[in-house]
Amino acid sequence: MSNGTGGKFAGFEREPALRVFAAELRESRIQFKEGEDEKSPSYVLLPTGERCNRIFLCGQMTQKEKRGEQNKFYTVRVQDPTGTFFINAGSYQPDAMQQIARIEPPVYVAVLGKPGIRTTADSSVFVSVRAESVTEIDLETYRCWVLDCAQQTLDRLDSFDQTDDSRKAKEFYNTNTAIYRQIIHDALTQIDIQ
Amino acid sequence: METIPHVVERISQKIEAKGVTVDHEKVRSKLTLLVEEFGIQIEEAERTVTNELMREHNLSTPASSGQEQRAIGDVTPGEWVTVEGKIVSVAQPPTGAIAQSGIIADSSGAVQFVVWTKARAPTLKERTWYRLEAAVVDEYRGAPNLKVHSGTKVTELPEDRPLMPNVAPIASLKPGVGSIRAKFIEDWEPRHERMMQTGLLGDESGRIKFVLWKDGEREKLELNRVYSFYYATVDEFNGRLSLNLSTAMYIPEEGDIRVSTGSDAIEGAFVHMAPGSGLVKRCPVEGCNRVLSRQNYCPVHEIQSTFRYDLRIKGVIDDGKKARNVLMQCETVEQLAAMSLEQAIEIAENNPLGLDDVLIQLQHRVMGRYFRCTGSDIDGTFLVRECRPVQCDASLHASLINRAAASPGGDIA
Repeated sequence: MSNGTGGKFAGFEREPALRVFAAELRESRIQFKEGEDEKSPSYVLLPTGERCNRIFLCGQMTQKEKRGEQNKFYTVRVQDPTGTFFINAGSYQPDAMQQIARIEPPVYVAVLGKPGIRTTADSSVFVSVRAESVTEIDLETYRCWVLDCAQQTLDRLDSFDQTDDSRKAKEFYNTNTAIYRQIIHDALTQIDIQ
Repeated sequence: METIPHVVERISQKIEAKGVTVDHEKVRSKLTLLVEEFGIQIEEAERTVTNELMREHNLSTPASSGQEQRAIGDVTPGEWVTVEGKIVSVAQPPTGAIAQSGIIADSSGAVQFVVWTKARAPTLKERTWYRLEAAVVDEYRGAPNLKVHSGTKVTELPEDRPLMPNVAPIASLKPGVGSIRAKFIEDWEPRHERMMQTGLLGDESGRIKFVLWKDGEREKLELNRVYSFYYATVDEFNGRLSLNLSTAMYIPEEGDIRVSTGSDAIEGAFVHMAPGSGLVKRCPVEGCNRVLSRQNYCPVHEIQSTFRYDLRIKGVIDDGKKARNVLMQCETVEQLAAMSLEQAIEIAENNPLGLDDVLIQLQHRVMGRYFRCTGSDIDGTFLVRECRPVQCDASLHASLINRAAASPGGDIA
């Protein structure tokens, strides 16, 4: 009974997946590691003031592209009410790759993955998500996620400037919380719930 | 903090009370040496110096306390006590240093005891009353434990006094000894060959895991039956309590108990399906039930030619704050994924992808979706009893729109 998925690692706690809208993730610029170890988790600091190692997002898959010659990988675009997420999955994410292979856009998908920030050759910054899983969902689940993401982003805004992470975010991003409230408001009014 | 002169005074008085004169300066220098040179805590130093002087003057150590008779339910670690109680259980001592261990009880409560071999105490008989003078209470695995040592005087009491165990709700149990009236609600597969039976007991206040070990002639519990359990040992491991019934008496009772659902509810997105999910094959050996490998290998009974199918999901439900391991059993999976065990078997046996196809279909139906589950947390895994998909809530939608519009600094332009 106790051989649960985490049972083997006493004291190991799985990182929860934060909910974040595309418009916010796109603005993230800081990625850091806690600890010196090669395996220590790497976090992205969100402009609303919380670190995330893993995120959960839903949206419409609008584009799917297979790239690479020897090392094939997929890049996928997922649209939420605020913008586009850039998702990728390579040979180190075989589950996600196979899942993506079975999905044909346009459909609603749920994505679990790890955010990453990289700077391209022409020194522009690109925020993407390395997928752990990509699965097709229904419209109802997508709506649930928009509410969930709105609620959790509002929660972050409400405690903005009160936590260590959000003070750092304030210092670095100079976050205008009113803009984020506007983004959330617009996202919510775009979906219809009877 | 207490100062050295203070403590010197107290030690001297204690010794002088026995009619011996004490050199205060000597006491002070010993104490100063321990505290200042060796960095020993002053309380500890006080004990050391007192004991040393006692020995020096051939005084019995430490006869000053432990004279007053105490209720067993009230003793706390660090005390010297005298108690009168009935030996309700004795157990095989695990080491030669211990002559006997068990449980002693009076009408106020019960405590585990240990008789050191060095104590040269008489062998305590079960169901007999004793007076234990100057026994010491310490703490063992988070519970008070009474130690009978060479300074303890053990006297058998001739009469048998009436003794009724204090039955307590499960929710109020603490490490040590406890008596409960509870129903045997879940029978689990023993994970150790010395285990005779393990599972869950429940009453109106909560649930607790129990273990019945094979040592001694014990009767197995009957599922869904109510019992009174007297003087079970309450162990704590990783902050979780469990009941060891080896020390306990248990008597079947009439009637039924409405067991607390003990249930928590969790809500969140199903974000990960762990290995071991889907259609699994279980070992057919009586009482085993372990999951076989794909090659029908049981970790205990090796290769099996027959097996029993089962459907389950092991995974993670994540609410954005916490990721929780969940385990869903056949009935829940059937309902959630709209796939019966028979259908799953049908898919597995008639499809080239076999078991993988079942898994893919299950993933397709639950991954990324929001669920609300009730159940209970067992050793870090949430055992799901009931699970429903979450519907989008229009009133939540409206209240979030209001929340987003109401900026703390005033309206947004």
